[in-house]
Amino acid sequence: MKCDETRHYLYVYLDGEATILRRWRIRRHFRQCPHCEDGFVFEERLKLRVREGCREEMPRELVERLRTLLQGHADDGM
Amino acid sequence: MADQAAFTDDVMEYAPQLYAAALRMTRNPADAEDVLQETLLKAYRGYHSYAEGTNLKAWLYRILTNTFINKYRQQSRRPHEVELGELEDFYLFRRLGDDGASGATRSAEEEALDRFVDDDIKAAVESLPENFRIPVLLADVEGFSYKEIAKIMDVPIGTVMSRLHRGRKALQQALWQFAQDREAAGQ
Repeated sequence: MKCDETRHYLYVYLDGEATILRRWRIRRHFRQCPHCEDGFVFEERLKLRVREGCREEMPRELVERLRTLLQGHADDGM
Repeated sequence: MADQAAFTDDVMEYAPQLYAAALRMTRNPADAEDVLQETLLKAYRGYHSYAEGTNLKAWLYRILTNTFINKYRQQSRRPHEVELGELEDFYLFRRLGDDGASGATRSAEEEALDRFVDDDIKAAVESLPENFRIPVLLADVEGFSYKEIAKIMDVPIGTVMSRLHRGRKALQQALWQFAQDREAAGQ
């Protein structure tokens, strides 16, 4: 597999959606092409960084309000 | 039908994640609270249609996404027509590593990545047009599979893949812009 084909499958690979054969071919390409491997590693780290960066603390007060709201509906016999 | 009290507990477990997603979708806490509240009430009322044993998290995100779209789509200008230009592979990787030397090390790009603060990441995600932002959120932040995202958004898997592809590149472009702005500001 060449660089352009490997990179075409970048996200499919990172998202765990590539077939076993495809993953094997991509890893085999990495052995000949450290640049592609570095790029994939970076993209993987970026994906994790996006996940971390989007974390939020939900206000305690909101949690309580929603819980009360749902329980109120339960008590109404919904 | 399982009992509703147990359902409250199950659903409330996902509330913080749903709240974070709602914040990225609406871009402000007041609207995020509204969307989340409406989502939970709809989930509550629709519980009889939820087939036990199926993916509760995906079901909740489907309600959240629909609630957001129904509530806010009319406010955004023709979101379906928003298109993003095509960018080269490894867009951000190439730029962050570009220190003028040919053999930039892997750690140089990784260090550059660490210089982004959470607010940069959030702002970059929120800068995406909604039809790209939602799949990026569902995949990168929530870890849903393509098949689940297709079901949540009610679009074909191929559409999910192409929007993810372009959305992620646009995200990299936004981050690169922040990095440059910061450099220009001398930080």
